[in-house]
Amino acid sequence: MIEITVLAASGLAGGTLLALALAGGLLRSHRHRSRLHDEIADLRDRLDNERSKAARASDAVTAEIAHLAEKRIPAVATRAAHPHVQVPGPLSVEFARTGPGAALDVVIDGLLTVMKQERKRVDAAARAGMRGTTREIQAGLYRLQDVLRGLQQQYDEPELAQTLFELDHENEQSLRRAQVAAVVCGAWVGLAREESHLVDAVTGGQSRLVGYHRVRINNHLEPGTALVSHAVEPVAIIVAELLDNALRHSSRDTDVTVNLERAHHGVAVTIDDAGVGMSADERGYAQRMVASSEPILLSDLGDPPRMGLAAIGQLTRQFDLSVDLSTPSPYGGVRAVLLVSNHLLSHVDPVRRPPAAAAPRSTRLVGTPDQPAKAETNGKLPVRTAAASRALRANARRTAPPTTPDTTAHPNSPHTDSTYPDHMPDGVAETDTDPDIEPGDEILPQRRRRRIRPGAEASALAARPSVPEQAQPPARTPEHSAAALGALQTGTAAARSTADPEGNDPR
Amino acid sequence: MTGRRSGRPLVPAYLSTGGVARPANTELERLSLLTGGTGTAPDGLPAARHALFDVLDGGTLTLVEAAALLELPVSAVRVLAAELAEQGLVSLRAPVPQAALPAPDLLKRVADGLRALKQ
Repeated sequence: MIEITVLAASGLAGGTLLALALAGGLLRSHRHRSRLHDEIADLRDRLDNERSKAARASDAVTAEIAHLAEKRIPAVATRAAHPHVQVPGPLSVEFARTGPGAALDVVIDGLLTVMKQERKRVDAAARAGMRGTTREIQAGLYRLQDVLRGLQQQYDEPELAQTLFELDHENEQSLRRAQVAAVVCGAWVGLAREESHLVDAVTGGQSRLVGYHRVRINNHLEPGTALVSHAVEPVAIIVAELLDNALRHSSRDTDVTVNLERAHHGVAVTIDDAGVGMSADERGYAQRMVASSEPILLSDLGDPPRMGLAAIGQLTRQFDLSVDLSTPSPYGGVRAVLLVSNHLLSHVDPVRRPPAAAAPRSTRLVGTPDQPAKAETNGKLPVRTAAASRALRANARRTAPPTTPDTTAHPNSPHTDSTYPDHMPDGVAETDTDPDIEPGDEILPQRRRRRIRPGAEASALAARPSVPEQAQPPARTPEHSAAALGALQTGTAAARSTADPEGNDPR
Repeated sequence: MTGRRSGRPLVPAYLSTGGVARPANTELERLSLLTGGTGTAPDGLPAARHALFDVLDGGTLTLVEAAALLELPVSAVRVLAAELAEQGLVSLRAPVPQAALPAPDLLKRVADGLRALKQ
């Protein structure tokens, strides 16, 4: 029986122990569970927190992107055409410092580059289109000009002539506009001229304007100051545009004064108007247009496009001319100075090829400065120096045709013309007895429009009895030819290297 | 013609008269004779009138000859001549009638004779 009690007691004890042990384990696990619970709740909180943060950040980025699309990109696009427009930054300042902020800035930079390229491409396409059109128009207007001038020579009925003059002037103006548009679009000036007197180029520019009556040209250049052939038309265009600017901005009852003066580095053409002048901003814009080295875009010229200054800028770059608009005129308006440097100047014999009749005379005297005094005192008749050139040229022309019977006795070759001042001996001029017949000359009597300076003729005869009668072209030395060809080559090379080539491809 | 310009003239004809082609004196014909005054041209004479005055140089030319020398159309020179005549710098004469001119044939014979004398 004892065994049963022992067994029961031990069993009870074991059970109690087990129960204790189990209770301890249970308690532990319960504690563990509650800890885990806490942890999970904490994590949930943090997760919610992070989630809401992420949502806020993504909202911010979305807002920035919307801002980029709605405000910043349009501003960048507008700024391309209107530089005063400010491009707004991101909505929040901190955003710019974050990764996405920097990425958006990269987007803007990329957009700018692409826009610039696209703008250039579109502009080039527009220029090419306009160049083609203006070139055709220009050629057509030149043909019209030929016809009009032919008609002017042919018909002299006053009413018809008046109409022809008016048409010619209209045509010149259209031509000027077409030419300027073509030049702005990168085309060549469209007309090859020969070496010409500078005053002719300036007067030619004057003739292309509506208000040409108001232009006064003072020519203080030595007679014969000329432009090399490729600079003639550019100078005429630049002068026309500067004069147009001056005439437009001055009142109708004021004059625009042009002075042609010799400077150390070339010839200065100064254009002064007595108009309202330009504000500092306008002056800056004008100076930038005429003197900057940046290529000009059509879309920069405004609406209606201001072509004149742009054309001047294009030409000064291509032909190494310089235009300055930065000083105000003493008359209150604008002073424009075109400097034609020495390498664009040449000399044309003012006797053999005098400037146009309408071109203002030089205030300087023809030939040697003491010649008029001599002529006045020695000859019975006062000799006008200015007359000498035209008269001698006329003389040369009359005798030039080889079939004229009296040419044998009239060695009015260019040699005689050019040496004329040297052959003005002091004593011979007094033999002026008959104005119509040259004394001591073995020619047939011929009608003369003027008294021949007998001294000049006779001594020229005596000095060169064997000069052939026909007017000869001046002898060309190998050095001359070499210099001319060399100049052509360097000129071509210079223009190719600097000029915008787009106008010169035959498209 | 040594001095003849080969290209397109830079300065159009209308500039010489300031765009005027109707002369004050409508009697002027192509062969009217212009005789230049002696002395110097007054200061401030417009360039083209000055050029005409110079080309006459105190002698006589027909209108059309003066036009050829100045490389201007006859219509422009007519205006210039009328203006100079108004200023008293040029005197104008009606053209020599065709009938009063000696026959060209006769002139040629005289010229030939004189040339024969010289040789």
